[in-house]
Amino acid sequence: MELWLSVLITFVKVLLTLGVFLGISTYLTWFERKLAGHIQGRLGPKLVGPFGLLQPLADGIKLLTKESVVPQNADKPVYYLAVVMAVAPALLLFSVIPFGPSFTLFRYEIKPIVSDVNIALLLVFAFGSLVVYGTIFSGWASNSKYAFIGSLRKSAVIISYEVVLGFSVLGVILLAGTMSTTGIVQAQIERGVWFIVYQPVAFVLYLFCMLAESGRVPFDVQEAEAELVTGYNVEYGGMRFGVFPLAEWYLNVMALSAIAVVLFLGGWSGPHIFGPVSPYVWFILKMFGLVFFVLWLHWTLPRFQARDITEIGWKVMLPTAIANLVLTAVLVYVF
Amino acid sequence: MPWMNQVTADRVKREFKEVEVERTKHTTNLHVRQEKLVDLMLHLKEKEGYKLFVDHTCIDFPEKKERFQGIYLLYNPDANERVLVKTWAVGGELPSLEKVWPCARWAEREAYDMFGVVYRGHENLRRMFMWEGYSHFPLRKDFPLEGIPEVELPSLTELYAGRTDPPSHDYELVHTRVPTLEDLERTEKSRLQKKAQLVLNWGPLHPGTHGTIWFLFDLDGERVVQSDVILGQLHRGMEKIAENVYYFQFLPYTDRMDYISAICNELSYVTAVEKLLEVEVPEKARYVRTMFAELQRINSHLLWLGTGALDLGALTVFLYAFREREKIMDIIEGNAGFRLTSAFLRIGGLHYDLAEGTLDVVRAFLKDFPNRLKEYHNLLTRNRIWLRRTKEVGVITREDVYDYGLTGPVARGSGVPYDIRKLEPYAAYGEVDFDVPVGEVGDVYDRYLVRMEEMVQSLRIVEQCLSKLEKLPKSAPFVNKEHPAVMAPKEEVFMALEDMVKNFRIVVHGESAPPGEVYASGENPRGELGFYIYSVGGSKPYRLRIRSGALYNLSIFPKLIKDGTIADAIALLGSLDPVVGETDR
Repeated sequence: MELWLSVLITFVKVLLTLGVFLGISTYLTWFERKLAGHIQGRLGPKLVGPFGLLQPLADGIKLLTKESVVPQNADKPVYYLAVVMAVAPALLLFSVIPFGPSFTLFRYEIKPIVSDVNIALLLVFAFGSLVVYGTIFSGWASNSKYAFIGSLRKSAVIISYEVVLGFSVLGVILLAGTMSTTGIVQAQIERGVWFIVYQPVAFVLYLFCMLAESGRVPFDVQEAEAELVTGYNVEYGGMRFGVFPLAEWYLNVMALSAIAVVLFLGGWSGPHIFGPVSPYVWFILKMFGLVFFVLWLHWTLPRFQARDITEIGWKVMLPTAIANLVLTAVLVYVF
Repeated sequence: MPWMNQVTADRVKREFKEVEVERTKHTTNLHVRQEKLVDLMLHLKEKEGYKLFVDHTCIDFPEKKERFQGIYLLYNPDANERVLVKTWAVGGELPSLEKVWPCARWAEREAYDMFGVVYRGHENLRRMFMWEGYSHFPLRKDFPLEGIPEVELPSLTELYAGRTDPPSHDYELVHTRVPTLEDLERTEKSRLQKKAQLVLNWGPLHPGTHGTIWFLFDLDGERVVQSDVILGQLHRGMEKIAENVYYFQFLPYTDRMDYISAICNELSYVTAVEKLLEVEVPEKARYVRTMFAELQRINSHLLWLGTGALDLGALTVFLYAFREREKIMDIIEGNAGFRLTSAFLRIGGLHYDLAEGTLDVVRAFLKDFPNRLKEYHNLLTRNRIWLRRTKEVGVITREDVYDYGLTGPVARGSGVPYDIRKLEPYAAYGEVDFDVPVGEVGDVYDRYLVRMEEMVQSLRIVEQCLSKLEKLPKSAPFVNKEHPAVMAPKEEVFMALEDMVKNFRIVVHGESAPPGEVYASGENPRGELGFYIYSVGGSKPYRLRIRSGALYNLSIFPKLIKDGTIADAIALLGSLDPVVGETDR
């Protein structure tokens, strides 16, 4: 394939991924509010457009037109950089997610993944760790104690769960024998069984890590409205404020759910009942199943305190993850 | 509740020769010289079992030589007896009792703030409600009700345009002092010991404080090294107002103290005033009062449950609790005409007769509510995260309960069955059957369980009142209008000449209470709300002291949160459940 063509295709794929997932995450706010409303015995947004469907638009316009106040003693470059650091890793995570099998268009083979690299999972860990910088930068640069404490809590949580995440995923890598996300999905399709069957413990651990990394209840210590007002993003206003929940609560949750689908739920595999778009439909359905689970928890559970989260992370989850890994390694070696 | 019996009084008299025992109609007072005060108090606490410090305040007698009289109210939980100890402040000074009861610290600070009485040996004698640097003492009799005009506060127009001729407004520019930003900063700075420590400010406006309390936390990481509570943002001078209005006029003010349980406040207040005026309350009124007080208690506990869970991140419980609250609010609104500050009770009875259909609505509520309670239990009680956040957090021992004057669910959570409804039944509490739930450990979780169980007990009481009210004839009197100090219902005032004349007389001249002193209290959702009325005759109390349960419950907060985390602080504060309207009054 010629270089310019492959660049063009990648460019189109990037645009498509960005457009689709930014769009979905915007509408996820509507979905979450509607869901929360029904969980809580209310109706949720219903006035802006039919079923309140235009609510995200109205919110976006409101956030964009709001005055954005920068605190006087803020460290300005870092203050702005924090916004970028919050949203960029979350978006980058989508670059290694395969949404379907490769297909041929005008004689060219096209893979529905932005970059099919063989170290995709390493990239996932790397981007996951980068998320913490957005939080730390925002907490540090806003020159506010609430934001500072919130960001410290969050980084403590992310650091401890980063390790658990790595160990829980290693089992799947051992089983699949590859770090490429496409490879993992192929491995599951070839065996005809999803890795959740072999690695149920790892899946549960992964779910916990997902909640912790995305700062969802019960791990939303960095926000903790009652104690820290809203924690690390308290000094941001307007769309800059809007970007943080967008990145953390929606993009991150979706990306991590998608990776969970790839690792444990067989990626795009599923019966061909939707015609040619069947793989994509299955992928999206599985992903939204997980996203729905996260939202559901958010509106049901109380929150841990930071001390407990790190304690559980290091003392319970990490040993479990290591035990699971050793067991998997032995079994893979034996059989 | 009985007061100190003769035998005990004689025993105390033998021990302390100069103590004078005075038996008034409603109280028993021990008069002591202030040199002997600390000894007497220690004796009462350790030998005679008067362990619970109920309240302390002062009364100003400008014509007397010593001027200020200190008053201490103690309670003996074993004998179920109260006693008042009185002593004169010689030279405007009293000894501090903080070594005997730690909670005396806040009461003494309040008395210092309001009267200027200096307490010898007090470790931190600062203003309680007024700001540092304020030079007057508002509860002194020579302090005018409207304040002392001493500061010129320009209008906004003047700030921009300067003085104009003719002036831009026609009101007096000189105004009583208000705290400035510098005053508040001085308050904050005077509390900070070291430099370069992480001091987290909570409040005055902060979602976690449930009102306008101001907390300062010295942090080491997330560990709280030391904390301070600064009150007074909602101080309205209720006690000063009470001295200047007739008894019946003060009733709506009590609604605005603990605004979440208005009817309970009113009930405590009218109980005290009726005791002073010796008003008999008709049976129907007593049952309606009890029923509404208990509905209000459920209402208040639901708010506590919702906000407490919200603080700990359980967002949904909040709306579930408010759904049920709404129904109770509707019942109250249908009867009193108001939802929050209802002013439903009157001295001698009720403002209105029961509205038509109330009993049916309450019956429906009774049927529905147990299922809702089950929902709350499902969401929280066995939830692992909830347990982890509340178990072993903020443990209050029984000694703490007595030392800090804790009452209400906070005391009962620690296993002290202190419930005024049982100990000194008022309204119809003596005639209904209910249990007093107590905790064992005294942590946040126990207080949670106690409050949840109290709602069930409240339901039982409401149920019994309901059955009783259904049996009573519709025409039964709801206000004792035979008594000369009780106003007749409005409809009758329009129709009957005598009633109109009587109401006219009360509205213009007041109730003309007999001289004497009375302490009566009610079991509020936030602890014992007591009213101490000192009357010298006439239609206005000479001194009306409000014993706030929320204030005393809050006073243990700095002790409990030491070495906890910020996240514990929020759980703990939720379980103490202060309402600023009552702590500040």
